[in-house]
Amino acid sequence: MIDVAHLTKQYGAKTAVDGVSFTVAPGRVTGFLGPNGAGKSTTMRMVLGLDRPTAGHVTVNGRAYRDSPAPLREVGALLEAKALHPGRSARDHLRWLAASNRIPVARVDEVLGVVGLDAVAGTRVGKFSLGMGQRLGIAVALLGDPPVVVLDEPVNGLDPEGIRWVRTLARQLAAEGRTVFVSSHLMSEMALTADHLVVIGRGRILADCSMPDFIAEHAASFVRVRTPQTGPVTDLLRGAGAEVTPVDDELHVQGLDAAAVGELVGDKGLYLHELTLVRSSLEDAFMTLTASSVEYSARTGTDLAGAPR
Amino acid sequence: MTVTAASSTVTLDPRRNVPGTRPGFGSTLHAEWIKFWTVRSTTWSAVMLFVLGAGLTALICATNAEWLASSEADESPGSFVTFGMTFAQITAIVLGTLTVTAEYGTGMIRATLAATPRRGAVLAAKALVLTGTLFVLGTVTAFAGYFAGNWFLDREGVGLALTDDGVLRALFGSGLYMAGLGLLAAAVGLLVRHTAAAVSGVLALVFVVGNMAFLLPGAWGEWTAKLMPGNAGSPIAAPVSFNPELMAPWPGFAVFTAEVVVLLTVGWLVFSRRDA
Repeated sequence: MIDVAHLTKQYGAKTAVDGVSFTVAPGRVTGFLGPNGAGKSTTMRMVLGLDRPTAGHVTVNGRAYRDSPAPLREVGALLEAKALHPGRSARDHLRWLAASNRIPVARVDEVLGVVGLDAVAGTRVGKFSLGMGQRLGIAVALLGDPPVVVLDEPVNGLDPEGIRWVRTLARQLAAEGRTVFVSSHLMSEMALTADHLVVIGRGRILADCSMPDFIAEHAASFVRVRTPQTGPVTDLLRGAGAEVTPVDDELHVQGLDAAAVGELVGDKGLYLHELTLVRSSLEDAFMTLTASSVEYSARTGTDLAGAPR
Repeated sequence: MTVTAASSTVTLDPRRNVPGTRPGFGSTLHAEWIKFWTVRSTTWSAVMLFVLGAGLTALICATNAEWLASSEADESPGSFVTFGMTFAQITAIVLGTLTVTAEYGTGMIRATLAATPRRGAVLAAKALVLTGTLFVLGTVTAFAGYFAGNWFLDREGVGLALTDDGVLRALFGSGLYMAGLGLLAAAVGLLVRHTAAAVSGVLALVFVVGNMAFLLPGAWGEWTAKLMPGNAGSPIAAPVSFNPELMAPWPGFAVFTAEVVVLLTVGWLVFSRRDA
């Protein structure tokens, strides 16, 4: 259980996290979603007591992180894949971490096996690929068999097989009753992994709800209608209270479901060429929600060739 | 019958793994010890410290023994039997800096502080591992250099016995001085968090600024020079100092220690408040 209350972090004049409150409950995967620079990593660093909040506070299992007698046994975190010395081997890295929290050394080889790094346990991590570094980071998070797991962008740099592995792992950890808090800037990834979503943009919480609620609320859907009798059909549907928008030779209908549209049109003996329920993707929903809060956005459609030299 | 998500949720005691009492300072020390010896820079620095410290002492004694025995000699053999430690200082400074700045350079400081949030304990453990290692290594190196160099001096009849005035003090003092220098470098590393900046800063302070300070005029200038860390701390590491203007061994080392403590305290204050 992670409790974040009115958390604010300012760096000089810039506010990275702005009065954020939310709860991460056990037994489910909570996705922490936001564009780059939205404040995800800053929030996670404050959860782990690494950065000092400007205001507000955060507790893990009811107490501040730094008050835990053996934090690695309580909270396992993947912060940055490369937060390790390139000259040290994977096993040595896990060994000193284990020693610091009195975790039995046997657990080191156990987690190396879990993340599939046993064959390269003695290799210096400087030679690791991004994906291997990420796996070692996850091994670090699992080292203390912690009831709370915090993963910051765990799928970065992983191949499709690795991504699927992280997804399964996160779900499995949650099924075991653990609190799982996973950040990502990819909605598509969260849609497959998370039960609950906390969406952040420019340091503020934009949404905090279950995945089905998020879909219902933010993923707009409409019924696409194609008919040779555009005029009468539009009038008919509007008469029934629907919102109808003509787009090219289609009609986009909101406020009535496909069955109701079909029945109404059929009763009048009009023709239908197409009747489809269209759901905008979660990615689109996320983009719409965060559009105004993107920190660094590329201007699309600018003529690069015309840039001043 | 449907199984809801809530009913299939397992409840897990959030503290089932957590011991009632803190693992203690011994665990932090153990972790820092593993960290210290599992990177190659430590082994290299230790080897270089020994080679420079003992090797250069032997070399300078071998090439100067005849001159020291002659009537032209205007230096004491006591300035030569720990000569190599002057250069071993460089590796002590590098090693001291790296124990701190390597963590900042790689971002590993976050892993360290996530594992041990009590920053004072982390710093104390680092300091203890560093000074312990440097003291033993510095003392062993000084002894090796003395035995090798003194062999050449003995052949010319100007050798020093271990029981001679200041010899044992200089050999153990070499260990003390190396430990102090390492700690000084670590403190500077805490403040600047950048390997190149910290190493060059401390080397400049000890080797360049310390010597240039002797050019300052008047009594004020003389004392400024005497109190510079390298000038105050180094006399303890030689039976007889080359430079007669330096402070006596123990008072000088006390000044040096005070300077290290002040820097380390400032470093600790910054470290305990700063975002990792």
